[in-house]
Amino acid sequence: MGTVQIREVRKSYGAVQVLHGISIDIEDGEFVALVGPSGCGKSTLLRMIAGLESISGGDIAIGNRVVNNVAPKDRDIAMVFQNYALYPHKNVRDNMGFALQQRRVPKPEIAKRVNEAARILGLEHLLDRKPRQLSGGQRQRVAMGRAIVRDPNVFLFDEPLSNLDAKLRVQMRSEIKELHQRLKTTTIYVTHDQIEAMTLADRVVVMNGGVVEQEGPPLELYDRPASLFVAAFIGSPPMNFLQGQIIEGNGLRLEDNTVLGLPAADPKQRRQVTIGVRPEHFVIAETGWPATVSIVEPTGSETQITARLAGQLIRILVRGRTSAMPGDEIRLAVTPGDIHFFDAAPIPELASAEDA
Amino acid sequence: MSARAPAVSYDARNTLGHRLRILAGIFVSIVFLFPIYWMVLTSFKQQVDIFTNPPTFFFEPTLATYKEYMRRADIVRRIVNTIIVAAGSGLLSIVVGTMAGYALARIRLRGAGTIGLIILLSRGVPPIALAVPMFLVARKLGLTDKHITLILAYSTFLIPYVMWLMRGFFLALPKELEESAMIDGCSRYGAFFKIILPISLPGLLSTLIFSMILAWEELLFALVLTNRYASTIPVAIAGIAGDTVNGANWGALTAVGTITVVPVVIFALLVQKWLIKGLADGATKG
Ligand SMILES: Nc1ncnc2c1ncn2[C@@H]1O[C@H](COP(=O)(O)OP(=O)(O)OP(=O)(O)O)[C@@H](O)[C@H]1O
Ligand SMILES: [Mg+2]
Repeated sequence: MGTVQIREVRKSYGAVQVLHGISIDIEDGEFVALVGPSGCGKSTLLRMIAGLESISGGDIAIGNRVVNNVAPKDRDIAMVFQNYALYPHKNVRDNMGFALQQRRVPKPEIAKRVNEAARILGLEHLLDRKPRQLSGGQRQRVAMGRAIVRDPNVFLFDEPLSNLDAKLRVQMRSEIKELHQRLKTTTIYVTHDQIEAMTLADRVVVMNGGVVEQEGPPLELYDRPASLFVAAFIGSPPMNFLQGQIIEGNGLRLEDNTVLGLPAADPKQRRQVTIGVRPEHFVIAETGWPATVSIVEPTGSETQITARLAGQLIRILVRGRTSAMPGDEIRLAVTPGDIHFFDAAPIPELASAEDA
Repeated sequence: MSARAPAVSYDARNTLGHRLRILAGIFVSIVFLFPIYWMVLTSFKQQVDIFTNPPTFFFEPTLATYKEYMRRADIVRRIVNTIIVAAGSGLLSIVVGTMAGYALARIRLRGAGTIGLIILLSRGVPPIALAVPMFLVARKLGLTDKHITLILAYSTFLIPYVMWLMRGFFLALPKELEESAMIDGCSRYGAFFKIILPISLPGLLSTLIFSMILAWEELLFALVLTNRYASTIPVAIAGIAGDTVNGANWGALTAVGTITVVPVVIFALLVQKWLIKGLADGATKG
């Protein structure tokens, strides 16, 4: 059974606490992505699940067995590392068969399972090569092959695609998804790339500063971000934010005293708020918020417009093409469901949300 | 290097810079090899040819000095002793030092850095300051003039040497290798012996060879801790050099010196091929 329960897990390095009570319940066969900015503790949590880091507080259970004091080799997990960690002195076949060999699986059975995994991953012609004779993408496949021959309870991935170029990354992303649909093995996948998390996972756990900010199915995080952080982190290009004060009659007074009419009221009735609108949710219309186009970037299927609204730069994404030209005055309409309200707070700076 | 070398790199062999570098290489080799050449040459000379002025390169070679000193300086037994001591201390140090180096590189241990530093500092103590106390201890234990005494004494400086070299090798390996092995079913020891050691073999081997050479030529401890039974080759050389009643005995010195160096050279040539192959195979790229 490949369930994983993480209960109130804490981690300290000396006096520095890096995980502050994380709880996640993962069902058998689920694909969960841990996503968050650099240094938020994703790898640390994954390594604690693997047994490579000690647990400072709380419990981790795999298949309903608490594994806090179980050695990595006895947890029945397989892990793919960012640098692949292939054994340089062993050829691909022996790299993939090593774990089975350690478990004293009979030789013919090892050969059968290695060949099967090699077939699935298209590695058959590389079985006799050493890791250094492989390209980065091939090494990545071997690392995955090494994990799947094990047929473990849980797969752990720590940024397995981040050393590949953009095109290969997209291709491997699809392959990982396909592999999961075929094998249905519980998978925990760490990445700082929110697109990867959104496209792969059944459920995304957004971490920040050693706590879980929000967890849920990808589209739920997109539709109903619980915090400013999640709103800024999920979605590309990122959500636009405006800060201001709510005034009578659903108006928002910005810092420079511009008043914008809001299509919906803040359900929590705050006075000071930050509102968020995703670039793809703006509609260029007859009436609405006034903005001045400053940059138009067409890609063919869609066009990204950067515009100035009350002195702030905002991003607008429209499908297809647009007649807007730099310098044009436009009006932006937003439907009531597409406006998000948050506590007034500084907008999180998220360089990593965009480097996808 | 000439400035336009990169543009014509396909025929770099013909550039002036390349020729100059070859000449410089030959010159350096001559500077280093000539004394050895002269030593070997002198060892085959008769006493009268040794002191001719100007020195002669052409003479009637003789094995007389060899024959005489093989017996007088008890060379065969000393060679056996030296082999026993060099191999013994080399192997002991490589086993202990490699494992200590691994622990220093990998195990998260409070004060590991300090422990490592203290062991390294112990190498700063002049050997002469250790030799006499060691002799006193050995005498109390009835261990003077025994192979094991020299093996242990040499290990005191070889273990720190091996430890620091191997620690460097291990630090250069990604720790995910062991972690992966541990997830694949190994214990920490299993990961060390099945993954880390095979990868480090070239480094391990060169460290072992250097350790054995250091032990091979060690004089001070051998002089103090042995007298007849376990005495080594360098002690014989020191004895001949110190015996100046009839003036320096150059014939004997060069003959015994040659006997000392030749096994080292043969050994190095034998393992060299293996070493280079090992280095190429074990490259840890990726
Ligand atoms: N061995 C260690 N000793 C002390 N602090 C550590 C150690 N390992 C990690 N940390 C700290 O723990 C925090 C979380 O690190 P972690 O590697 O889990 O981040 P991450 O979310 O995986 O980031 P990235 O996306 O950059 O990989 C960081 O602040 C890091 O500095
Ligand atoms: Mg990480």
